[in-house]
Formats: sequence, structure tokens, C-alpha cells
Amino acid sequence: MSLRIYAIAYLIFLYAPIILLPIFAFNDATIIAFPLSGFTTDWFKALLTTKALHTAVQNSLYIAAVTALLSTTLGVCAARAGAMYAFPFKRSILGLVMLPLVLPEIIVAVSLLVVIVQIFDFGLSNWTVIAAHVLISTPFCIAILNGAFQNLDPAMEEAAMDLGESRWSAFRLVTLPLVMPGIISSMLIAFTISLDEFIIAFFLTGANPTMPVYIWGLLRFPSSLPVVMALGTILVALSIVLLTLAEILRRRGMARAGLRDKGGFL
Amino acid sequence: MTELISLTGVNKFYGDYHALRDIDLSIQTGEFFSLLGPSGCGKTTLLRTIAGFEGVSDGVVMIGGKNMQGVPANMRPTNMVFQSYAIFPHLSVAENVAFGLRKKRNMDKVQKDTAVAQALDMVGLKGFGARQAHALSGGQRQRVALARALILKPKVLLLDEPLSALDKKMREQMQVELIRLQRHVGITFILVTHDQEEALVMSDRIAVMFEGEIGQLDDPETLYRRPNSRRVAEFIGKMNFLDADVTSVGDRVTVAVEGLGICDVDAEQAPAGITLGKAAVGIRPETLAILFDGEATTRETIAGTVDEVVYYGDMTYYDVRIAGVADTLNIAMKNLIGRPVLDVGAATTVVWDARSLVLLP
Repeated sequence: MSLRIYAIAYLIFLYAPIILLPIFAFNDATIIAFPLSGFTTDWFKALLTTKALHTAVQNSLYIAAVTALLSTTLGVCAARAGAMYAFPFKRSILGLVMLPLVLPEIIVAVSLLVVIVQIFDFGLSNWTVIAAHVLISTPFCIAILNGAFQNLDPAMEEAAMDLGESRWSAFRLVTLPLVMPGIISSMLIAFTISLDEFIIAFFLTGANPTMPVYIWGLLRFPSSLPVVMALGTILVALSIVLLTLAEILRRRGMARAGLRDKGGFL
Repeated sequence: MTELISLTGVNKFYGDYHALRDIDLSIQTGEFFSLLGPSGCGKTTLLRTIAGFEGVSDGVVMIGGKNMQGVPANMRPTNMVFQSYAIFPHLSVAENVAFGLRKKRNMDKVQKDTAVAQALDMVGLKGFGARQAHALSGGQRQRVALARALILKPKVLLLDEPLSALDKKMREQMQVELIRLQRHVGITFILVTHDQEEALVMSDRIAVMFEGEIGQLDDPETLYRRPNSRRVAEFIGKMNFLDADVTSVGDRVTVAVEGLGICDVDAEQAPAGITLGKAAVGIRPETLAILFDGEATTRETIAGTVDEVVYYGDMTYYDVRIAGVADTLNIAMKNLIGRPVLDVGAATTVVWDARSLVLLP
């Protein structure tokens, strides 16, 4: 019984602040405080008319899409190599690849800033953000894709080659369809990570801020807080949809290959 | 028969590990050839070098008179049935079987469909084409794998422990079906197995492998009756071993056998180039017998005591102790009408015959 109370308290602590987002996003007052004063959709309408926000959203979507593509490609290579081949220092190499998962993002951000600006003297742009986002999202992609590749019989590609296909077409015709749900799931996760990421983007963003950076900028003006709440509501909803989609695809992929579910992110 | 595959001086190293040692092998067209041996003996590696999945460190692999050096698996006239079957789970049975036909540009859709239907019919899966591959049973997967490999009419079909995942009944049924199939299509089959019975039942010739080398290469009967070494004799069937001393050689070989006394055997029962001195003698359990009450024999007899009884239904295996021998002798007796199953400790008479002795170096 006491455990149940603990569990409920824990969930409230975790999710209550997020529930506040939609509540105040629809509240008819600029001050974020109870009691609520009335229902309005003004804040969402304000979102539609803010030009700078649109640029930020476009920026973020572009960065997230490219990040998803690049980190999933890298993830496929790493997961396939890890599952199918034996090579020297395999475990340590795969361990190093997973390291950004536990590195504090601020450290990654500062060191990348130093490397990019001081050492290579590149200008900051969307591409610097993309490079950093690929760095932090690749471990997640590998973790997801590992599951897909580990369940794959290495004889499968050999069988395709034995039946006359080249190495590449064996991969394309047999491996790729079997891991496709994992690939899509990996892209969705990478996309979500990149879209929500703030610290690295804050340090490495060029002339055009990403959406989280833009939101942070808004916080200096108390009057725009409800707008931020409205934007936050949309973002949370979008993240939940994307993550659920990723998990559904991962499970469907397992079922399709006739395999037992061995966990995942959700 | 003409030679289809020849391996000359084939060696394979994995780092320091010597997986294949000086393999010389010639396999004929239409032959059912088996590579038999314990796990880790290199039989699968050898199969994979023929298939083209592994290169050789040294030596020459020829198939159909062509050197296979640098020829990848997809360009070789071989097809393989994998131990895991490697059925593509995202495709239907028909799509699996038709997979190898993708590259056949000279066949139209109708011809391909006909070929798939014929292949499925041949392995007893008529009408299974539309089923999803992951919903098949083990035996059905095996058949799909066979159909998928045979549809390309390879010169050689390679089978990597194809029956090991099946239960005993299914395995025995598939053994018979495979033999029938091989005779029907006339393609050379090379089977890798660790199951000596399977190899004996199915093969025209068997190469027994140990630690990367071929220990003996013979037809099943010769292999069983005249193993050339103790390890082959131990690996194939059951064998009793007795210490022996060779006292004269020639057309006949005289040998003093532990417990049995002086025996005079044919030179054929001894390995080539046998020398005087210490040797071993092997006796198969079914060539020994227990003399039951009321039965008579003209052969040699010796007194013994039953030490262990293992009842198999159709057979009973007795371990019998005879004077002057440290190990017991294993004797296989058919449970014919009127024959009792003896109890442990019973005094018996063991019947033996010098003609069934196998001298081993």
C-alpha cells in the first residue's frame, strides 16, 4: 500500500509540471498563477503570427531531419559491424561510440565550441549544430539498431549471396527490409532528441536560433510566457506521438521477424 | 563418374589456429559425399571454402575444372542449405524459393512460377507457396531451404548439418527423403554432419575429420568394418578395444589378444604396413554374442560374468567381464523369441570370432 502511494506520488512529481503546460497555455492571463481566469486560444494564435518563431521552427525541423538521417546511417553501420563481424578491440570501440550517452551535454557543447571556433576557425551555422546533434543521438540509434541486428541470423545475408546476389544487394534485399522498422524507429528517436535539445544548440547555433533557443530567448519577457506555454504544449504532444510511433514500429518489426521482444525504450 | 570437385593441399588459418590441414579431396559428379566429425574438426569450414564464404590460406579448390580462387559465393555453381535454414522471414514461401531466380533474365514470370511450383512439389510442399515463411515448422523450413537451393540446379548442393534441428522421427524421415531427392535430381550432395549414423545411412563416401585433417575417407561399409585408426573406430559406432601384441605378419597376421589368446587373422583385418609389437584390437558389440541356454555354436567361446544390462527394447546391451581383461566387453544381443534378459552377475558364455577382429595401430 505504501509502495502504491509512493508510486503515485512519484508519477505526480514527474508529470504534474508537464500537465501545467496545457493548463496555462489555454489560460486567459499573462501571469502564470492560480486561480485560472478563463479559457483562450489567443496564445496559440500568437504563435501563428510570430515570424521569428517560424524561422526557428523551420531551422529546428531541418536540423532534426538531417541529424536523424546521418545518425541512423552511422548507427546502421555500427550495429551491423557489431552484430556480424569479429574484429580486434570490438568491445572497447563500441563502448567508446556509446560514450556520448553519459557525457554531460554542456561539456560536449563547450568542447565542440572550442574545437570548431578556436581550432578550425569555422563559423557557427546549422551544420555545427547538426554535427553535435549527430554525436549525441548516434548512441541512441545504435542502441535501438543493435536490437534489430542482433536478432538477425548472419546466415541470412550469406544465403542471399549464395543464391546469386552481390554483397550489397544481399544487404538491400534481405537485411534492410528486416531491420527497416528499427531504422525508422531510430530516425524518429534521433529526430526527437535533436528537436528538443537546448544546451548544445545554444552554444553552437549560428545566426538563426533553433526553437528551444528561441524559447529561451522569449523567457526574458514575462508577457510572452503564455506563448511559450502554448509552444511547449505542442512540443510535448509531438514528442509523445513520435516516441509512441517509434516504439510501435520497433515492436512490429520484432513480430514481423517472428522474434521475442527483448526490451526497448518504452 | 567424373571428378567434379577437387581440393589440393588446402590449408586454412584463423590467426594462429590451423583450421584445415593439407586437405586433398576429390568428389565425383552425382556423389552423396559426407564430411563427418566432432564439433570443431573443420568440417563446416571445409564446406564454406567450397561454397566460397571462406577463402583458403593455401591450396587450390577446383569445381567443374575451374579454379575457384577469388570467385565469390554468388558466382559459384554451388548452393547451400544452412544449419539455421536462413529462410527470409519477410518473404512468402514462394518468394523465398524464387529468390535465386531474380538474376535469371532469360526466364519470364510464367516460367519462374512454374519452376517454383515444381521445386515446392519436389520437396513435398505443394500449395504452400502463399504461406508466410516465419509461420512454418522446422521440417517445413528445411524443405523450403532445399527447394530454394535446388531451383537453381547447382552442380553441387552443400548441406550444413541440415537435420540437426529436427526431432528424431522427423530426422529419420528427412534422411530417406534426402537420399531419394538426391537420386532424383542427380546433383552432387556434400553433407556436413556430426551424426555418424546419419552419415552411414545417407552417403556414398564419408570423410571423417579430426582437428582439421581427414582421418579416413571410405564408403560407409569399409569405414565401419575397417576403421584405420582408433579415433575413427571410436567415433563411428561402438567398439570394444583390447590390447594386443603382433607376433608375426604376412598373408596371415598372428596376434596375441588380451583375454582372448593367440588369434590368426587375415592381413585385410590389419592396417597396411603393420609391424610386430604392440597394437590394439577392436571388436564391434554386434559381432560378439552371448550363448543362451539351448543355443549352440561352432565359434570360439569364453566364460564371462554380466556386469551391466541396458535394455533397448529390440536390443539388449550387456557389459560382460572376462578373465584377464580390465575393461568389460560390450555385447549387443537381439531380443529374439525365447531369449531372456540376463541379470547383473549372471555367469555367461561369450561367443567370438577372429574374423570380426580389427587390428588398429
